[in-house]
Amino acid sequence: MNEIVQLIEESATRLFEGFSTSKGHKLMESGQFVDKIWSAFQADGWLTTLLPEEEGGSGLGLEGGCVLMRLAGYHAVPLPVVESLLGTFLAAQVGIKNHEELLIPVILPKAIDDASEITLAGVPWARHANSLLLIFPADNGVNTAVISCQDAEITADQNMAGEPRDNVLIEVNKLANTQVLKNISLDQIESWLALGRAAQMAGALQRVLEMTVEFANERTQFGRQIGKFQAVQQQMAVLAEMTSASMCAVDAAIEHLGTEQEWELIASAKITTGESAGYATKTAHAVHAAIGFTQEYPLQLSTRRLWAWRDEYGNEAQWSTKLGRYCFGLQTDNLWSWLTTQTG
Amino acid sequence: MKKLNFSPVLTGEKEAVLRNEVRAFLKQYGAFNVSNIIDSWSICDPELSRALAAKGWLGMTWPTKYGGGGRSYLERYVVIEELLAAGAPVGAHWVADRQSGPLLLRFGTEEQRQHFLPKIIRGECFFAIGMSEPNSGSDLASIKTRAEKVEGGWLVNGSKIWTSWAHVCHQMITLCRTAPPSEDRHAGMSQLIISLNHKGITVRPIVTLAGEAHFNEIFFDNVFVPDNRLVGQVNEGWSQVVAELAFERSGPERFLSSYQLLEAAIKTLREANITQQAEPVIGQFVARLMVLRQMSLSVANQLQEGKLPVNEASVVKDLGTSFEQDLPEAMRLILATEPRLTANDGVARLLSDSILKAPSFSLRGGTREILRGIIARGLGLR
Repeated sequence: MNEIVQLIEESATRLFEGFSTSKGHKLMESGQFVDKIWSAFQADGWLTTLLPEEEGGSGLGLEGGCVLMRLAGYHAVPLPVVESLLGTFLAAQVGIKNHEELLIPVILPKAIDDASEITLAGVPWARHANSLLLIFPADNGVNTAVISCQDAEITADQNMAGEPRDNVLIEVNKLANTQVLKNISLDQIESWLALGRAAQMAGALQRVLEMTVEFANERTQFGRQIGKFQAVQQQMAVLAEMTSASMCAVDAAIEHLGTEQEWELIASAKITTGESAGYATKTAHAVHAAIGFTQEYPLQLSTRRLWAWRDEYGNEAQWSTKLGRYCFGLQTDNLWSWLTTQTG
Repeated sequence: MKKLNFSPVLTGEKEAVLRNEVRAFLKQYGAFNVSNIIDSWSICDPELSRALAAKGWLGMTWPTKYGGGGRSYLERYVVIEELLAAGAPVGAHWVADRQSGPLLLRFGTEEQRQHFLPKIIRGECFFAIGMSEPNSGSDLASIKTRAEKVEGGWLVNGSKIWTSWAHVCHQMITLCRTAPPSEDRHAGMSQLIISLNHKGITVRPIVTLAGEAHFNEIFFDNVFVPDNRLVGQVNEGWSQVVAELAFERSGPERFLSSYQLLEAAIKTLREANITQQAEPVIGQFVARLMVLRQMSLSVANQLQEGKLPVNEASVVKDLGTSFEQDLPEAMRLILATEPRLTANDGVARLLSDSILKAPSFSLRGGTREILRGIIARGLGLR
């Protein structure tokens, strides 16, 4: 896996570094789709990262996909990397071959039953997507259905980082291609999306740490670099610790994909990155002081994303509650033996 | 900026078998002689240490030619975390097994290894740490204890403090000044193995705020130490101490000191059927513990690969001791029980015990501020 990780890192970094110098963020925040970036992303074949080679994918799996998502987070790429990769993968599971279009997966908490309309809030990138892949519980298991975004009523909205999070009104009779999704549960999809976000957050945390170290080594006050002050060093050390913990938590979750422990490690990854995001943003802005509070300075591209992402696909409290409930449900005295199943 | 490495590691079949062996041993061993199970690695039970030695769980990673287990650091990790999680009082052999033996393997002479390692492995020789002094805590380089060169050895004068179990241990690896302080304040120090039954040594117990007397002040009055008890190079003691600390700082004892409280809290709340409110708190701490285990195991694996992950070890220790200190603070709020050291009720006693012991968690083995300074240096800030 290490060699593959390195390969993904090299080629994705080349691609993403080009993006960050572009005006992509401004375009995105003004409501436009950054076609140029999307085309380059697509042309490099990243959309099918999760698909096996025999289905025309690159066979890197979610393991490889998470590496890409982490890098996308590091570079604050103005694209729905997590959603597009998982959308394409999930569509393939119900026989929809999509190697080019932007397909966003959306989980509905309950069955559609005989409702005539569905309203969705905060759908990532809906206004720019070709279609949405709705995933919902039904009598015969988990179902999927497709709605073309042209057929839906979309009102633009955005998260704190200015990423599209739209409101969508769907007439149920316009849903097409209802299928049964086999072998994948709603909980699993929910956790994969959370892992994707956590991976992005780990990347963003790494970026925030690097920017802050660099700044502390450059900025001079009282005749010396501010990084020479112990008060600053102590905070920066904790920032590095929490970033390390986040990276480790995400890597451990990736390592456990496909095992019984999958969701547990994902929960801990989303909790850890969420907790770290709070400390990291607070500290990075304290060290950067006023300049970091401006739109012009790029720190905000990472910190606003961290603030938005920690609440998406389940925040720390939601995942902690799930994990805590699970612990209370364990047989007496089994906490430790359960914990130790997570390392081998 | 040096990137911190915490690549995850999975243990295999060998470790799983070993884990079950430890669990079976603990089940069979029954009650420990000492019942206090918060911070169990600071509690001394030589009988248990010898029983563990008989199982081959002391000096596990050391070469077989000294009687060691020739096992991996991952296997050692599994054994020690099982013992700690069970609250086993492993304090007697802890320092010898964790750092003194590895130090001798790295820097000691062949004679020292042959003399000490088999005894440590049999649970017959316990080591104390001789670093801090009354006026040298975090500023370790300012130590005053002097070893003066005399015919055939060294004459040691001075004192060490906060030495856990000095009254039980047999030997102490003592950092001494062997050359006067110079511009390079890390120069001129050496490590000597001092036998603690020497008549020039006085051990005075110090009682902790929790009412326990496990640490001491030690006075050296013209204590003669033969030449063959110098560890490594003369005047190179500082770099040896730094290496020793990579072993000292990253293990599961840095986050499991109050683990028993977590288990007891879950059990108490479950039995009282008041779990709902506590779910997010328990989940949050469990998540932190999960990540700490992954990080500590990763460091164990790096030690196995022959690396010396000093910065990573500091990260584990700072995050880990914060965890074990935060735990009683959070548990008291969800348990709504008054902490009672005298209580028969397990959870009230564990709560009290962990609150009273918690301050030491982030002091021993390098304070929080020192660790963060090391990490900041690794970031390129110092």
